[in-house]
Amino acid sequence: MPVVVVPPPYRGPTAGEGEIRVDAATVRECIEAVAARFPGFRDQVLDGRGAVHRFVSLFVNGDEIARERLDARLAPEDRLEILAAIAGG
Amino acid sequence: MNGPTGDRMIRVDMTKQTAEIVPFPDAWKLLGGRALSARILLEQCDPKCDPLGPGNLLVMAPGVVSGTAAPTSGRISMGGKSPLTNGIKEANAGGNPGQDLMKLGYRCIVVTGQPKDAGKRFGLEVGADGAKVVPADAHKGKWNYKLVEDLAKQYPQTASFISIGPAGEMRLTGASIACTDQEQDRHPSRHAARGGLGAVMGSKGLKYVAVDAGKARVRQPAKRKEFMDLCKKYTKDYLAGPQMFKTGTSTVVPIANMLQTFPYKNRTEGQSPDAATLDGARIVESFATRGGGMHNCMTGCIVQCSNVVHDAEGKYKTSALEFETLTLLGANCAIASWEDVADLDRLCDEVGLDTIETGAAIAIFMDSGGMAWGDAAGAKRILREISEGTELGRAIGNGAVATGKWRKHHRVPAVKGQALPAWDPRPLKATGITYLTSAMGADHTAGLIVNPGLPAEEWARASQEAQLVNAVTDSSGFCQFLQPNLDAIREFYGLLYGEEVTREQIADIGWQCMSDEWEFNRRAGFKPQDDVMPECIKQDPIGPAKLVWDVPQEIVEKAYRRQPLRPELFAQKAAG
Repeated sequence: MPVVVVPPPYRGPTAGEGEIRVDAATVRECIEAVAARFPGFRDQVLDGRGAVHRFVSLFVNGDEIARERLDARLAPEDRLEILAAIAGG
Repeated sequence: MNGPTGDRMIRVDMTKQTAEIVPFPDAWKLLGGRALSARILLEQCDPKCDPLGPGNLLVMAPGVVSGTAAPTSGRISMGGKSPLTNGIKEANAGGNPGQDLMKLGYRCIVVTGQPKDAGKRFGLEVGADGAKVVPADAHKGKWNYKLVEDLAKQYPQTASFISIGPAGEMRLTGASIACTDQEQDRHPSRHAARGGLGAVMGSKGLKYVAVDAGKARVRQPAKRKEFMDLCKKYTKDYLAGPQMFKTGTSTVVPIANMLQTFPYKNRTEGQSPDAATLDGARIVESFATRGGGMHNCMTGCIVQCSNVVHDAEGKYKTSALEFETLTLLGANCAIASWEDVADLDRLCDEVGLDTIETGAAIAIFMDSGGMAWGDAAGAKRILREISEGTELGRAIGNGAVATGKWRKHHRVPAVKGQALPAWDPRPLKATGITYLTSAMGADHTAGLIVNPGLPAEEWARASQEAQLVNAVTDSSGFCQFLQPNLDAIREFYGLLYGEEVTREQIADIGWQCMSDEWEFNRRAGFKPQDDVMPECIKQDPIGPAKLVWDVPQEIVEKAYRRQPLRPELFAQKAAG
């Protein structure tokens, strides 16, 4: 099952959990699976239209993927990392 | 090879208006920036001195690797006793003066004394031939951009400048110190802003410092090939990574708003209805039609987080319009337009004021009924008035606490006399612990932790570790937005001087810096009961979860007790 890596700024809804294993086959399914367990998480990643927020970046196994590729398929051993720039200044 | 040798310090006596070059102690070679400033202040400045009197010191110290080929390594620390907090202060800035001083082999400038005639102004000229104090009455009262424009006629194109505006000359406790960026026009847009060190510089009669490195070369490390290889690898890895700051900190606005840390109307709410119009994405969109764009503020920077903002006619307006400014001068004052905030940013840079402190002060003035929320024109008028010395201008220029006292207002969000920055302690408890325990007061660059899900038992350690990493970073010359970790910094140090710097040593540098600062404050009269949040932050809830500051003091105090070193500390990135 893929692992969703949640950045520290987004761990409020996940009660501090930073790595969440989910039963999902695509990027979108991973995000929705985490959201189903942790209310509030979805709005941090997806906007009202279900697209990834402009300020969020997605990485699969360390490689950035385009935000539009929510239907990209993931292997069971894959890691989906959600990144958001938080600092400043 | 031993790496750079023969480094020197410039000691400036403003009572006599003399400058002397003295050797830099070899024992301090791994001290730079903030750690160097802290050490000098603890050893040479009476913590009980009048911050605006002759006994205070003003330290200008680039970092350990500044002036080398290391990427994004030219930050400079300004240090002294703060007239805002009455404690020790370090404020950090980009631009080119840090690089230039180090290329000339000057590890720091230490300014002491005070002219007998408070009406006189002086400049300090620094070059390969030495340093000298020169008369500068002709520049008295000038706003920073006009000042630099005129200095550019006096000094070569290779010179960079450090300056104060009229706020510093008037010794207003919100005054900043400006450094010029690396653009051809040398904008005075990089400010060592927090804590009123501009007033300290003004109290010494020093209007500007001109640093001309001429054709001085970058500093040569002991292990040149390995150092250059490390620079190339670090740069390659950074550019291949997410580059989180390539659109600047202004694009953090929507995330901060989402996390209830985009304070609105003097922090009475954690979210602003104007987030969309204050979002840095609007600034980025403006580049297509107006020009401007992202750039690096200092030579050798690979991050390029700084924006150059143009007006609707395509002319330069301001540079480095950042998240904190959009928050404190925007949302916090209910000013909705990023364009108005850009005007305010420019005005603060001209007059020489900290945008955070000024925004907090204006919001208090609005909150107390002094002017309407969102009155951008009124805010601009106040800043233009600063030079006239009106009662209102002085109050705002002296910052949040002064404005609160003047208006007899109950809601003054400040810690140790310094206004809270955008990152709110109510949702960000560990960051709140930084604000309380750092000697700097409410300073997010002292150690920012944005992790709302962190369990309570980890808050104090998270704050301490963030403070330590940032203390080392701010001593190194690296910019926090390069996000170096301790292992990277010690590797650069080791190759610079040809001797390994261990994990224990690099951690000790950070801890000693924090300890020196705490000791200075203790001698200045600070006590544990000063580590308190203002009542408004303890009582005014924000967000659906009705968050307040409710961290028990026994948890806060844990941040002072040194934690055992753990491997994660050395991989932790700087965050501020």
